[in-house]
Amino acid sequence: VISQKAVENLRAAIFIKNLEVESEYEGISKMLDRLRGHAQVQDLQALTEAVFDRQQTDPPLFPGGVAFPHARTNSVSSLVMVIATCAQPIPFGEVPVRLIFLIGIPKRAGAEYLELISFLARHVRGEQVVDRLVAAEDMSSFLAGFAVGP
Amino acid sequence: MDKPEKDPPKRALSPLFRRLLRLKFWLVEHFRLSERQLTLIWAALIGALGAFASEGFRKASEFLHTIATGSSSEISSSFAHLPWWQRLLVPTVGGLLAGLTLWFGNRLFASIRQKTTTDYMEAIVVGSGIISVRASIVKSVSALFSISTGTSIGREGPLVQLSSLVASVVGRIRGMPIPQRRHLVACGAAAGIASAYKAPIAASLFVAEIILGTVVVESLGPLILASVVAAFVSQFLSGSEPLYKSPGFNLHTRWETIPLCCVGIVLGFLAPGYLRFLRLAERLFSKIDIPVPFKLALGGTIVGALAILNPAVCGNGQGLLRSLFHQNWFWEEILAIMVLKFVATATAFGSGVVGGVFTPTLFIGAALGVLYGQAVLYLAPGLRADPAMYGLVGMGSFMAATTGAPLMAILMAFELTLDYSIAPFLMVNCVVAYYCSGIFEKRFMYGESLERKGAAFFKQQLAEVNLQDLVRNDPLTLPKNATFAQIAETFVQHRYQHIYIVDQENRLLGAISLHDVKTFLDRPELEMVVIATDIMNEDFPRVLPTEGMSEALRKFTAAHSERLPVVDNLNSQRLIGSISKTDIILHLAGEQGTAAV
Repeated sequence: VISQKAVENLRAAIFIKNLEVESEYEGISKMLDRLRGHAQVQDLQALTEAVFDRQQTDPPLFPGGVAFPHARTNSVSSLVMVIATCAQPIPFGEVPVRLIFLIGIPKRAGAEYLELISFLARHVRGEQVVDRLVAAEDMSSFLAGFAVGP
Repeated sequence: MDKPEKDPPKRALSPLFRRLLRLKFWLVEHFRLSERQLTLIWAALIGALGAFASEGFRKASEFLHTIATGSSSEISSSFAHLPWWQRLLVPTVGGLLAGLTLWFGNRLFASIRQKTTTDYMEAIVVGSGIISVRASIVKSVSALFSISTGTSIGREGPLVQLSSLVASVVGRIRGMPIPQRRHLVACGAAAGIASAYKAPIAASLFVAEIILGTVVVESLGPLILASVVAAFVSQFLSGSEPLYKSPGFNLHTRWETIPLCCVGIVLGFLAPGYLRFLRLAERLFSKIDIPVPFKLALGGTIVGALAILNPAVCGNGQGLLRSLFHQNWFWEEILAIMVLKFVATATAFGSGVVGGVFTPTLFIGAALGVLYGQAVLYLAPGLRADPAMYGLVGMGSFMAATTGAPLMAILMAFELTLDYSIAPFLMVNCVVAYYCSGIFEKRFMYGESLERKGAAFFKQQLAEVNLQDLVRNDPLTLPKNATFAQIAETFVQHRYQHIYIVDQENRLLGAISLHDVKTFLDRPELEMVVIATDIMNEDFPRVLPTEGMSEALRKFTAAHSERLPVVDNLNSQRLIGSISKTDIILHLAGEQGTAAV
């Protein structure tokens, strides 16, 4: 069962099909770039710094090649998300990554953040699910990939 | 398509541990011991330890008394069987030994006394909650010599001293901050009184009303628990009979309520005279410029000389009190013994004997009450007044008038006799006596003692105490990359509501609140992907050790937290400890207590 709030967040996300980059830094930068001019992003520079700062502390990775660079920062007024699939895995340190969820969330929304991460961790699990999501053509088929389940 | 071959190695919680964690968290959430509940547990323990200490002192004084008089019966009875020269010699030698103990003890431990206190009231209200062990033992041994050789002084003083000392030692061993130590010593004092008089309610109110000057639940709850446990242990060790069992009273006519309700007026006006006489005796003895051992020996000699006239003056007056309620006395006898007892008590008190005047004061009040009752019987025989009933009411009224604590006096008199029939009269007379006494006397028995110790000076100091004195050096910390699993483990293993997140140089980065994460603690999927920095509150209020109490309390109100982190300064933000709201409140309660005294 997919929670309504998670679906809303995913639906509002920016979807990038086949992100083609060489490195983790380049990949995250490109995804952040898609947030330029986004209504909820008040300070893209601050968001970028916060995301890379978090990556430096301990890059968040799910088993199966899923990364979710994120930051809790007041440079966004509400949750923003960019989803990218990668036909060619991008090395995040030693881990090849095929699916990236970039998340920016305001500091006050701690519970919402934990709920979303919990949701992703539970649903983006297993190679079949990741394969299905990576193969998605657009957000609708991406969401459909969630609905099928592991 | 390349697929990842392995995932990053991280330590996850096992399913069994997770299940245990969930169970433990549920238990912790539902049965977590707050600081207030922990204080109650300590209070109960102090109650039991205080009762054992009191019982030990009681046994020791009985043993020494048997050696001194050759009799194990009650002190006044033992003295009645002694020849005149022994009645004179025993209190004199006892006074000399008590004085020598104080003299040598003070010389040996002078340096210790400068840093700590031996007075439990001072330790509770204005001190650091630390009572000097060695100096207290010196005082108790001195009291042991005086009390067991018949000096007219109460045993409750050393009993309270010893149980307060036990509490102070426990507080020190546990490394408690000043307010908690002081509160614990207050529990010890209440336990000492409760075990001395088997009166737990009055004991807790004695400390709350007289020493702390406040009856807020925060401080009263632990006092009650300590007193009740102490009373139970004492009853277990030495019987459950009330100290002065009432023979049972009936009003023969409703008209008797009129003279009964006037006892408080008479005794309320007499109480200031009693207090002034005690002070006069103290002043007279202070003018005698001889060493302490000889001064106490002189006091003992005077009591011994009075004992030649009537051996009943010896001891604290407990036996006399019992006989007042159960035997018929001629008014001349009561008047004589009351005057002698009055002089003997004032002499002992004035000479500086270590002990209390509580029980002797009870006797004086009861004797005055019985005399008043006999006067009523003589003037209005139709009322068929029972003087013993007036004695009980007089005992409570005089206590209220001399201590300035009517609530405690009502409950004490009731608990000492367990006679409900006199309760309404006790209530009326205790309150009336307190107000009548207050017209002529503003300095009551125990308040005056604290005043002399410079309470006003300490109060000023207390207001200037900075938060540094209340800081605990045991904050719960984790690094900023601590995993959610570590955070969950830490919350379950400790009873704090917040974990402070620090960097490698121990600089405070923020705090994680249990309230914010508790609904997620049993989610295994978060354990390895969420770290402290993701969920910490960077704007969590922090306190500086140099800040004032009011500023700290304002931050507590804003944070809705029981505990706040303390950092060295706003630039470096190095975490040096934490401070709890309860400690501040207890500290302030102590300050209020000083004001009330």
